[in-house]
Amino acid sequence: MIFILLVFLPGIIWAQSSLDRPDIFSLENRLKFGDFLFSEEDYLRAINEYREYLRFTSNDSIRFKFAYALAEMGRTDEALDNYKGLFFSSSLSENARLEFYKVSFLNSESQKFRDLCNMEVYLPEEHKSEVNRLKLFTYLFDDSVLPDSTDFVNSFSKEDKSEVLSIYLKKKFPDYKSPEMAAIFSAIVPGAGKIYTGRLEDGITALIATGILTFLAYDNLKADHDFRGWLFAGLAALSYAGNIYGAAASAQQYNAGIRFNFENEVRVYLKNKNYFLPTDNFRHR
Amino acid sequence: MRHIILYIVIFSTNIFAQDFLQQQLDEADLLFNSGKYYDAITEYKRLQFFDDQNIFTYETSYKIALCYKAGAKFDDAVKYFTLAENNTDEYKDIYECKTQIIRANILRRTTDRAHQLLDELEINPRFFYKKMDILYWRGWTYMFADKWEEAAKTFGKIKPDHQLKIIAENVESNKYSITVAKIISFILPGSGQVYTGNYLSGLISFGWNVLFGYLTIDAWNSDRMFDGFAIGSLLWMRFYRGSVQNAERFAIEKNLEIANETLRYLQNSYKGLKP
Repeated sequence: MIFILLVFLPGIIWAQSSLDRPDIFSLENRLKFGDFLFSEEDYLRAINEYREYLRFTSNDSIRFKFAYALAEMGRTDEALDNYKGLFFSSSLSENARLEFYKVSFLNSESQKFRDLCNMEVYLPEEHKSEVNRLKLFTYLFDDSVLPDSTDFVNSFSKEDKSEVLSIYLKKKFPDYKSPEMAAIFSAIVPGAGKIYTGRLEDGITALIATGILTFLAYDNLKADHDFRGWLFAGLAALSYAGNIYGAAASAQQYNAGIRFNFENEVRVYLKNKNYFLPTDNFRHR
Repeated sequence: MRHIILYIVIFSTNIFAQDFLQQQLDEADLLFNSGKYYDAITEYKRLQFFDDQNIFTYETSYKIALCYKAGAKFDDAVKYFTLAENNTDEYKDIYECKTQIIRANILRRTTDRAHQLLDELEINPRFFYKKMDILYWRGWTYMFADKWEEAAKTFGKIKPDHQLKIIAENVESNKYSITVAKIISFILPGSGQVYTGNYLSGLISFGWNVLFGYLTIDAWNSDRMFDGFAIGSLLWMRFYRGSVQNAERFAIEKNLEIANETLRYLQNSYKGLKP
């Protein structure tokens, strides 16, 4: 009896251990690990696990999460291709189309996105209005002719209309300063152009500096100090010309600041509103 | 007899069940030792995920932290060192984690935090025997905080002729005094820049000050008081102030160069333990 046990016991133990030892690289375990990484927002590693899983299995939920992770890592083209793979014959078709448009909106030029919106075959049936809202917002990021304000605002819900209208009007009537007017103001009164663009200290300094240099030029020439007189006259002329140029440049900087702040404001607004898209908690699918 | 056999079977299956985790750890260690830190982190995290009983949590967290530290991701490194610290009861391992956190703080230049953690270690009676070690890391913290004199004093407490003490003293002696640069520029415009090795800049600065100083005094001598005041305040004082500011700026830049050169030397050539 003991002899039999001694012969067969290692075999029994080995067989039992083989059953108990999980293959952590099995498809199922790769998926579990991938889902864990995805929930931790470790998207780069989640992509690798999902990719391995999808090599052998077709699963729409996983492909959707795979595409989402790609988009989060900035791999836009791959993300879009994977979303497209779910457009037809998939239960996640609507979600995929919506995410496709969201990723395109965030990563494409405005005109390109509008062209994409015209490709109706890709549009999500139940979320056409959401995509249309994104399309309207693209007009705020480039210099294309804005749609009519009524058409623009009416695409949004009642509680959002006033804010959207305010943003629309800021785009249509920006508070720009004219570089030409700034230069003319400075030509008439040194420093006035800078004051016009909101730089009060610079304007006053330019006025005082140009004034004093001019006076010094006059006073030295009057006292027959020709060299000094012409030196200060030259410096005064430089200061005057530089001030005119500076005023025009200051207006351009002012306008660039207006544009930059406006676009930032719109981006923050859109992000806070989740781009007017429905929230989908697909992380735990 | 039956009971003995049963115990043998159960015990053996448990050993083999852990065997795959050990295999996974070995593979992860192989990647770590080859310097493939990204892949090593992935495999350590995989091991952690499947390690239901948290047998390897300390070891894997520690290794993940080392990988992040090697990749200069110090925030993540600190996070995982802390996780490792919380998953061990061994004082030796706890101390190791704490010093690694201090070293990560030194490398990311959050030296105030490093000092704070060193203070906590110093007053902890469990680590009294590590006093010299703590002083060593405090010295490094001072070096990264650009406080070379304090660093020299700290290393001096470990050993009077400690190599790092000598290096720190050298840096301190080679540095330019910002106060001296400013004062001599006050006295003679341009001399502060010459003191810091910027000869051309010093000469030009001196030239402008001489020119506008002459024009100012000449205007006053000719009873053109407003002229003299305008040139003096608008032009002379501007270049005079500029000279002092330049002297200060050049001294700071030179000192930064000296400090960075020393840190580069320590990184590449120093054989002792480094952050």
